[in-house]
Amino acid sequence: MKPIGRVASITAASALLLAVACGGGSPAAATVNGGSGKGTIVVWADQSQSGQDKATQAEVAAFNASQTDVKAVLKFIPDADLDKTTQATSPSQLGDVVEVDGPYMQAWIREGKLGPIDGLVSAQTIQNQIPSVIAQDTVKGKLYMIAQIDSGLGIYGNKAMLDAAGISYPTTLNNVWTADQFTADLAKLAAKNPSGKALDVKLNYQGEWPTYGFLPIVYSAGSTVMTGGKAAGNLNSAPVVAAAKTFASWKPYVDANTDDSAFVKGRVAMSWVGHWVYPAYSKALGNNLVVMPLPDFGNGTKTGQGSIAWGINTSRGNGKAAAKLLDFFANDANVTDYTSGAVDGDGAVPATKTALAESTLYAPSGPLYLFAQQLNKTCGSGPATKDCVAVPRPQTPGYPVISSDFSAAWFNIFNGADPQAELTKAAQLIDTDFQDNGGYQLSG
Amino acid sequence: MFTKPKTVAGPAIASIQQDTRAAVVMVTPAFLGLLAFIAIPFLLAIFLSTQNLQFGSGLAPTWMGLEQYRRILLDPLFRADFYRALINNATFAVVVVPAQTGLALAIALLLNRRLRGMPVFRTLFFMPVVFPMALVSVIWKLIYAPDDVGMLNTVLKVVTFGHIQPHDFLGDPKTALAAIIVTSIWSGVGFQMVIILAGLQSISATLYEAASIDKASKWQQFLNVTVPGLRNTLVFVVMVTTILSLRLFDQVYIMTRGGPLNATTTVMYQAVTSAFDQGNIGRAAAITVVFFVLVLGVALIQRWFLREEREIV
Repeated sequence: MKPIGRVASITAASALLLAVACGGGSPAAATVNGGSGKGTIVVWADQSQSGQDKATQAEVAAFNASQTDVKAVLKFIPDADLDKTTQATSPSQLGDVVEVDGPYMQAWIREGKLGPIDGLVSAQTIQNQIPSVIAQDTVKGKLYMIAQIDSGLGIYGNKAMLDAAGISYPTTLNNVWTADQFTADLAKLAAKNPSGKALDVKLNYQGEWPTYGFLPIVYSAGSTVMTGGKAAGNLNSAPVVAAAKTFASWKPYVDANTDDSAFVKGRVAMSWVGHWVYPAYSKALGNNLVVMPLPDFGNGTKTGQGSIAWGINTSRGNGKAAAKLLDFFANDANVTDYTSGAVDGDGAVPATKTALAESTLYAPSGPLYLFAQQLNKTCGSGPATKDCVAVPRPQTPGYPVISSDFSAAWFNIFNGADPQAELTKAAQLIDTDFQDNGGYQLSG
Repeated sequence: MFTKPKTVAGPAIASIQQDTRAAVVMVTPAFLGLLAFIAIPFLLAIFLSTQNLQFGSGLAPTWMGLEQYRRILLDPLFRADFYRALINNATFAVVVVPAQTGLALAIALLLNRRLRGMPVFRTLFFMPVVFPMALVSVIWKLIYAPDDVGMLNTVLKVVTFGHIQPHDFLGDPKTALAAIIVTSIWSGVGFQMVIILAGLQSISATLYEAASIDKASKWQQFLNVTVPGLRNTLVFVVMVTTILSLRLFDQVYIMTRGGPLNATTTVMYQAVTSAFDQGNIGRAAAITVVFFVLVLGVALIQRWFLREEREIV
């Protein structure tokens, strides 16, 4: 793999270089060329959960059957390669409609691969999007994507095991547990468990998971990743170092979860993960499943938000036709299908107000109501105050660097490295990269 | 008298010219391939390594000079990771090359006997080579899993009647690289074994007959007939194994992601993650250029050894 890998990476890089050199390459917020609103459009979709993939297939087929002007052709990109593939593809070769993970949106915009969709997508579609996804998909007052789903992050609990250990746990945002209580409860649970484990934090997940799953701890500690374009002094501040130390102290209680079934097989009583495991967990535990907020590290409980959404590629000139598909994706039947409806969905948070109101999972009496409440208290693009709960991931084209450096530092700390040194290194690496790239400022 | 050499030289020169033409025609496809897939990308990599080029920044590449090299080789912020990767690569090669070659030789000797069902054994030992590395890595990750989930831990617990406690092989910085080394040898040894087996079978049986008439013991036969007869094969195997071990990437990417605490990071892993996780093409290019120079050095040293061996034979 070495020579081949080297050649492949260099070839990809040179292809990019050529693309950049030919395309002018200065960051410009391109506008979508509307086109005729007819013809064939290509859809690049993220191939992830089979339920969602089937839903997307069914929806595209239904879209093609519902009208004759636009024919959508669906292409799946495997989830693990989505970011790499789309980064290395020039705008003209990407699809007309593209599925983009929220935090990567700004990089797409800077590379001229996404254009604003106000005026293309119907006003009704936009009005019906829930506030947290509008916050995610808006840059400088312009909307760039339409979402079918948002995400929820929390701790799933095995009620029987929690009760057997005699611990009291929160199930609403009114009485969250402090990090210290949580640590003490882990010890109690572990003592009751023959395996000596109490918690699953999805150590088997890779890629962006640590950033999505554990960056909320940074906000809950009362800090943030960057202020004024600087990570140093924020990401490595004393409260974050203390919180990272606490997190690392849980290691003896954490199951490695190599088989991804620590929680469903009852090896641990708690699982720190997103909404997407709900169908599997609910099937395995039934009424024994409880959903709890993440612990509070001092600045109130914080959680993740944001997910993949659909945008329109600027350079292909089929904006109007593409917008018809986005309108179709965003109708209630399709959003419900995609999240938890007829096709085996993954329990994601419906991203439209009407579908969310109809959802049995997210209704006040529903099992995942906590996630809906968390998103309702979104911090938006503002600072993470004590009262808001859901914090979007850093909204900058430099996100991949932040994510990669933070993840490396976080796992090193978890594995015993010095928190202060690791977080300072991550902050310096992030700052160096931002300096190299002019702070990733969007022009226009 | 004077015409004779002429008549001899005439056709000889013509045939040399013909040979040259044929050689040029035959070498062209390979040469073009080398040019397109090695030379040009390498020159581009050198160029890219002098640029500040970041995916997602939307900025045109800008000149950065040797800054990327200064960072990975000298800057305290970056160099520790790079040197750690080099050390891991070297450790891996130093352990794997002799161990894998020796094991391949031992297996080949065992499988070179006349026994009923020998093709079955040969197939079994060669089988891991057929499996894709990604598949092997996933399976071995499950084998190494900590606690009772892991097959290795379960087996160790049973055979030692519980005296060996479960160990997190991939999660412990002390054992992670060793675990990857074992996986790599298991999956790769069959390939070397087949080459050595072929080498063994090309050694004439008359040599062994002569040796046994001279009352040479099996061990003496091995040292004085088998090893000299395998010399070129072994040199080839060592070379290929070295190259294969320097390319170490798949296992690391799937089993440990370079962790824990950089215990299994490799140069290729850092190049790929710099380019495709972080989008930093300039740094990735600089890493590959430095590595190319190092690998070239290793290859030249090996070529020198290979030449020596050919002169002996």
